[in-house]
Amino acid sequence: MRDGGPEGTFVLTSEPQHLARLRDWLRGELTRLKVENQEQFGLQVAVGEICSNSIRHAYAGLGGKPIHVSVQGNENRLVIEVRDFGKKFDPEAYRPPDFEAVPEGGIGLHLVRQFVDELSYDVTQEQGTRWTLVKYRRRE
Amino acid sequence: MMEIQVAQSQDVTVVVPTGDLDMGAADQVRRVLTELIDKGQLKLVMDLGGVGYIDSSGLGTLVAAMKQARAAGGNLKLCALQDDVRSIFEMTRLIKVMSVHATRQEAVASWG
Repeated sequence: MRDGGPEGTFVLTSEPQHLARLRDWLRGELTRLKVENQEQFGLQVAVGEICSNSIRHAYAGLGGKPIHVSVQGNENRLVIEVRDFGKKFDPEAYRPPDFEAVPEGGIGLHLVRQFVDELSYDVTQEQGTRWTLVKYRRRE
Repeated sequence: MMEIQVAQSQDVTVVVPTGDLDMGAADQVRRVLTELIDKGQLKLVMDLGGVGYIDSSGLGTLVAAMKQARAAGGNLKLCALQDDVRSIFEMTRLIKVMSVHATRQEAVASWG
């Protein structure tokens, strides 16, 4: 794993134990962008879930595969991109969780949507999926 | 590795993890809980006071253990959730189906 990308970019490899360091880095970036603590927690969950998705589905649990995370922000919004280079996200295969059945899985994207204002994905690259998370900033 | 302590309070087994219950820790927690249930320790309390972060993998682990314990005649009860962690249980509606208590004492006492 390395975090030596351009400013605002973190590169991790697809081992779940690297997610903690990703969160540390993200906390630092969000603090630099003056994001409140409670909002930081939600964005850490959202980004963590997308990366977990990449590890579990795009890379089928294989370690050593790259995931790029970048954060950009201004006074109006934060834009976070997560890019993997594995199997592309297939919306047809995604089943929203049935909360009546007390699900053990499939709730990651549900959680992401609770914490961001926009979630989109791009599978037009040659490999992998580029996820974009947008959070609009509350004005004082 | 997540630090996980297991303590006995009369016939109730209290599991106390410390750290982030994320995808990286979920398997370890799953192993601990499964081993306890397989040994017949079915009155379980998970004290989450030392857990400041949980993701869907962590939730899935707790739900699976709760179902396993209930199927065997027991239960997995939770206590001492930090505010951020509690918000995740609320968003996923698990707060309504899992037995959640404010304190460890309350959770242990609820076994009667």
